[in-house]
Order: sequence, then C-alpha cells, then structure tokens
Amino acid sequence: MTSKDRERPAKSDDKKAQGAASETGPSSAKKSGTSPEKSARTALGSLFMKALIVSLVCLGGAALVGKAADDGFRRFSYAYLTAYMWGLAIVLGGVFWVTLQNLVNAKWSVVLRRLGELIAMVAPVMAVLALPIVLPIFSGNDILYSWANHERVEADHLLHHKAGYLNPTFFLIRFVFYFGFWTLLSRFFLKQSLEQDKSGAPAIMKRMQRAAGPGMILFALTTTFCSIDLVMSLDAHWFSTIFGVYYFASCVLAINSVLVLAAAWLQGKGQLTADVTADHYHDLGKMMFAFTIFWAYIGFSQFMLIWYANLPEETGWYNERFHEGGWLNLSWALLIAHFVIPFFGMLSRHVKRNRKAISFWAFWVLGVIYLDMYWMIMPQYGAEHPEFGLMEILSWLGVAGAVVAATAFAARDKNLIPVKDPRLGQSLAFENI
Amino acid sequence: MSDHKNDESSSTGSVPLHGLLAEYETPWQLVDASKKVRDARYQRWDTFTPFPVHGIDRAMGIRMTILPWIVLVAGLTGLASAILLQWWTNSFDYPWIVSGKPLFSIPANVPIMFEMTVLFSGITTLVGMLMLNGLPHPSHPLDLKERFARATDDRFFLLIEASDPKFDAKQTRALLETTGAAVLDEVLEDRVTSDRLPKIVTYGMIILTTAAMIPLALAAKARYTKSRDPRIHLIGDMDWQPKYKAQRQNPVFDDTRAQREPVAGTIAVGDLREDDHYFRGKVDDEFARTFPFQLPLTQQTVERGQERYGIYCAPCHGLLGDGRGMVTQRAESLIDSGRGRGMAWVEPTNVNQAHIAAQPVGQLFDTITNGIRTMPAYGPQIPTEDRWAIVMYVRALQKKNGAAAAPAPAPTPAPAPPTQTPEPGSNAP
Repeated sequence: MTSKDRERPAKSDDKKAQGAASETGPSSAKKSGTSPEKSARTALGSLFMKALIVSLVCLGGAALVGKAADDGFRRFSYAYLTAYMWGLAIVLGGVFWVTLQNLVNAKWSVVLRRLGELIAMVAPVMAVLALPIVLPIFSGNDILYSWANHERVEADHLLHHKAGYLNPTFFLIRFVFYFGFWTLLSRFFLKQSLEQDKSGAPAIMKRMQRAAGPGMILFALTTTFCSIDLVMSLDAHWFSTIFGVYYFASCVLAINSVLVLAAAWLQGKGQLTADVTADHYHDLGKMMFAFTIFWAYIGFSQFMLIWYANLPEETGWYNERFHEGGWLNLSWALLIAHFVIPFFGMLSRHVKRNRKAISFWAFWVLGVIYLDMYWMIMPQYGAEHPEFGLMEILSWLGVAGAVVAATAFAARDKNLIPVKDPRLGQSLAFENI
Repeated sequence: MSDHKNDESSSTGSVPLHGLLAEYETPWQLVDASKKVRDARYQRWDTFTPFPVHGIDRAMGIRMTILPWIVLVAGLTGLASAILLQWWTNSFDYPWIVSGKPLFSIPANVPIMFEMTVLFSGITTLVGMLMLNGLPHPSHPLDLKERFARATDDRFFLLIEASDPKFDAKQTRALLETTGAAVLDEVLEDRVTSDRLPKIVTYGMIILTTAAMIPLALAAKARYTKSRDPRIHLIGDMDWQPKYKAQRQNPVFDDTRAQREPVAGTIAVGDLREDDHYFRGKVDDEFARTFPFQLPLTQQTVERGQERYGIYCAPCHGLLGDGRGMVTQRAESLIDSGRGRGMAWVEPTNVNQAHIAAQPVGQLFDTITNGIRTMPAYGPQIPTEDRWAIVMYVRALQKKNGAAAAPAPAPTPAPAPPTQTPEPGSNAP
C-alpha cells in the first residue's frame, strides 16, 4: 500500500504533473508575437528559393551528365531511382509518422506534428518526381524494369508467369492508387490540423484519430507494394516477402532524422526555441536508435532465411551483392555504417538529448539510408564495381532539394506547431524522466 | 494499530527517532521543499508521491544511475556467452554439420546471440534496479504512520532520516517549517514489524528452488543408471496399432504368416526389365558394344547427356571429363592449406584415357549404374535413358579430347540402328 522506496523513486512523465510545466512554460510565442512569425516566413521563404534552385540545377545537371554518358540514360535511370527512393522514404516516413501520432493519441509529439504533416504533404511532388521512372515503362523501355518489355516477358517463362501482376497497365493503376492515397491522407491531416488552429475544436482531433486506423492499414499495404514495384521488381525473378518491411524501416528512420534536423534548423533560426526541448530530441533519438536496430533485425531476417535455405532462385540477389571486391566491401560497409556504428553512437542518453550530437547522427542516418538504397538498386545496373559519380551526387542533391523546397513552400504561411491542439500543453511540458 | 503504540513510545522516549516527516498538499510545494533540503546538503532523505513528479530528480539532486552501464556489461556478457555456447557445443565438443554450413557459422548463431543479449540485459535491468533501490524491503517505519497511506492518494511527503550526519532535531525541524509543510511529524523506529522477509516467503522460495531441481536430478540419474523396465508408452494408439506387420504371425492364414506373397508372376509397375541390352548394358553376358535401339541417336540425346553429365558427373569428373571437378579442387585446396586434418584424396578417373575410351559402351553404362571403386552407384538416381545419354556424351567428350581413337564400336551384331557415334562436336578429326 505504501511507497516503500527507500532510495529515490524514479520519475517518468505524467499528465498530472503540470507543476513541471512552469519550467518550460507553454509559450506560443510565434502566434502572438509578430516578429518571430515574420522571421519564420523570411527564413522559410529563402530556404524555399535556395532549395528550389539547388533542386532544379542539380536535376538538370544530372540529366545533362546522363545524356553525355550516351548510354540511353541507363546509368542516369539507376542513379535517379536511388535518389528518388531515398526521398520517398522521407516522405512516406512523414505520412506514417503523422498517422501514427494520431492513431495512438500521442501527446509528446504535438509540437513536432505540424512539421511531420508538412513533410507528408510532399507526396504529390514525389508523384511528379517519379515521372522519369514511370513514363519509360509505358514505352516498353526496360532499362530499369525487364517486365516492361513485352518481348522479354514472352521469352522468359518466369516473367511471363508474373505478368499478371508485373505489367504496365496494372502498374499504372497501382501507382495512381498509391500516390492518390498518400496525397489524400496527408491532405486530410494537414487540413484538419489547420482547421483546428482556427477553431480549436477537440472534435477535429477525434476525427483525425478515427481516420488514422484505416489510414495506417492502407499505408502498410501501399508502402509494401510500392517498394516491391519500384525496387524489388528491378530483379523481377527475385522475391522476398519481408521486402516491404525492410523499406519501411528506412522510412521511419528517415522521418525521425529529418524531424530532428528540421527542428534543429528552425531553432537555429530562432523558431520553436522554447517549444522543442531536449526531451523531444530525446524521443526522436530513441526512435532513430530503435529503428536502427529494427532495420538490422529485418535486414538480417531477410538474409538469414535465404542464406540458410540456399535456394538458387533466392540467393542470386545476394550473390550479386557479395561479389568479391567492391560489392562485398559495400555490403560490409552497409552493415557497419548502418548498424554497428550508429548503434553505439546513439546508445547513450546524453547523445540523444544533445541537439548537436543527435543532429550529427540524423545526418549520418540519412547518409546510410542512401547507402542502403544504393545497395538495393545499383547492383541491378550491372557494374562490376560500385560506382559513385557526378550523376549520383546530382540526383541525390536534386531530390533532397525538391523535398526541402516543397516542405518549405508549404510551411511558409502556416503555424509551425498546431497552436490549438488540446494536448499542446502536455507536449510542451513533456519530460522523459 | 500503530498510532497507539507510537503515542506510547514517544511519551516514554524509549524508541529512537527515525526521522522527520513533512507533508505537502501539492507537488510543486514538494519540489520547492526538496530544493531547500538539497541545498542544505542533507544526504539521507527521500520524497514520496502518489505519481511521478517531473523535475523532482533535479530538485533532489539525484545523480544519474549507473544501471545503464551495468546493463551494457550484462548485455555484452550475454552476447559473449551465446557465442561461446554455440562454438563449444556445435564446433568443439561435438562437431556436427547442419545443412552443410560451416561448423561455426556466424549467421546461424546470430539469433541466439541476439536473444541472449536481450535476456541478460532484461534480467539485469530488473534485478539491478531492485538491488540499487534496496528492494525488497519488507518493512519501514513509515508503514506505522496512518497518515502516510495518503502518499498513494493525494499527499506528498518528504522524510529526513535521523541517521543523516547533518540531522539535528531542532534545526531540521526549523528548515522543514520554512517549506510550508501542512503537517510536520516525528517518525519513530519500527520495533513492531520484523524487517526480515516473512518466513513463508523464504521457505517458499527454498521449496520452489528445490522442486525445480527435481526434474534435472531425475534426468541426471537416468543418464547414469540402467533399467530393465520397458519404456513408458505415452501414446498407446501409436505403439499398439491394430494391424499386422511384416515378419509377424497372422492366425487367419494356414501358414500364419502376416506377410503374403504376391501371385506368381506378379511384376510391379515399371519393374519389367527383361531387356539386358537396355537395362544392364549387356548382350549375351558380354558388355554391349552398341547403343540399344531404344535410344534415339540424335543431337538431342547428346545434349540431354551433356546436361545430365553437368549435374551428376561434372562435380567430380570435371566438365572436360579430366577428373578435375570442383570436389577435387576443393579437396586439394583443403589439403594444401592444411585444413584437411589428415584427409586423403584420390582424383576421380580421367574418362579421356585410352583404356576408358576402349571400353565398350555397355561397360561405361554398367559403371554409371553400379558404381566402381569409390564411385557410388547412380542407377537409382538417374533414369536408364539418361544414363545412356550420358554414355553417349562421354563418348563425344573422348572423341573431342582425342582420346586414343576409341575403336569405333561399329562391328557389332546387335539389331540396333547402325549409327553409333553422335556428331555433336562434328569437329572430329
């Protein structure tokens, strides 16, 4: 009955403990004060312009270099797809993250939720960015996807067998459905959230929660099949049922890293300084740490079953990545840089609570996600050794710039936190211990 | 039950003081009070709240716990134990090949390494937390305070123990009075309840531990004793099935044999193999010098033979038939690198040698079917037609490799089609 803890009792967060809120203080400075709001607009406006220019210049440059390579845009297609899947991971992570916060009625994350909603709204932009990958499929161009070429499908028994799913028409239907769904879901969340900024009606919160359940189920299905369509079908003979989850791990890692960087950048510009605290970084860091392990867990699960069963139709995919020399080294590098180093790097709580330290790891994680995408996609290009050149760098910068520009453009005239969310006070006062 | 005793003892003064207890109505009052007590540099004191209060750690000046470091060490210990366990059991004490993987194979060991790391970390977290908190703690003087029960409901308490080096009955009381405590109360040592674990818990744990040993003890005993008792039949339906087994008695028949003979002349489906030439490669008890007529002497047959040869023969005999297959190369590399552990290896026969090329086709067929020396019989694995196709391909190999001109097996009495030598190479000299 009585608390017998002779030692000091450990404390964790609790909704009743508003006493602690006095230390941070529920500041909604950017709403009331005019100057911070203005400076946010200028900062976001200039970020938008810079990112847009970087994006256009780099994408154009990548295309020019691709044309100069004179291989029918073959190398460019792979380099661009790698960069694209990296960008898509961030945006899908955003869709997932916002849906998740609504689904579980999360309180700690309210101050960050608007940022997530804005990143999720890049989904329609990603649909446009996918055109260089999608359009060639309909001209029977099989640079990326062998199943797009009718003659190759007819000549290959297995492709012929899979043609019921892997054919351009059905692909188009799925593609429209994926991006239509992600766009509608993100739009719904952002619209409702903005409406709450005006009215503050708690009913809006409930409405978003109700949509989050079915939204999450459809998100799981669309992400799984989209990763299968865009990445796994590069090697149309190969299959792995866990593949969608593997890509999903990158999505969650990406969004948490991007949220860390976005919050840190805004705080550097004098925004959200009192709102996002070490405890919020701590939680984002915990998610990054947890999903670093999750990624390794899923990646190893996929590898071990295939390694143990040792069936030729499954091992071929790994065989390409375990070629002596470059590719094998890259596989080792992926294991060490994507799991071992960040595992120990992010293990300490002090690292996760330190804005600079966790920002460093956020950059690191975004880098290794690109490495992971490269490892999944580039061996299909067929190079003897991994090659990383101007085309890859420009595509990467181009897609990254597009994601940043689209987010900044959407954010420039909006509140950066849901100012009238009923749970905002709890989020501001949130403490881990 | 306790207040009565407390009053009595405080009046007599025979029971020593345990500490001073301050009671607050709100958590922030408690946080403020904690800061004052912390700044007064008290060491042996604690706070009690119905729910976790944010910021109380800092207000109390609690240092970061060392538990994470203990858990890290435990996790690494678990990882190391898992590696040691799997290496010792599977590749050292009782080497056992599973699924053709190496004896010590990291990917196969990772799941156990993961689980043991988590197990050690998890148990250490729980036990370490209890130990660092001094739990279990069966009794405490505060239990005798009836008011203190509200620490689980709506009141916030702060206790400074009398054993604190800075404790002074008057000064401490004065300090706590400045913190706006609603009630300030003396807590006396508990002379009523034992601070030992209840006997029933101690004995219960001993009994349970002992009981947990029994199955292990029985298993250990069974390993070192012999018994004449029949084994235990767990599933009777499986051990005693209502049917007659081969080589047993069956009273239904005159000869009481359970196993009945087939009707005279019965031949199982696909078992009629009268054709000596086709099935045994012999004509009049001599090895046939011609291919049987059932075998189409076409390019397709040779290609079929090439494919089957690649599957069944090439691993040892090599794609060229020179005995330099992958198995040979592997064996030699093992021996050369000293990992062969005293292994010996005899290279498979080079099928292009003159004396092999001189063998009649029937003899090659017989070798494939029944094996020879260390080469096992492939009759059960390769269908008859394919074995002949392989023979045909081997002939082509010999020809191509210029094996001392195999005497063209033309002169033979068999009624088979005349063409003997396949012409896939067509570059025969």
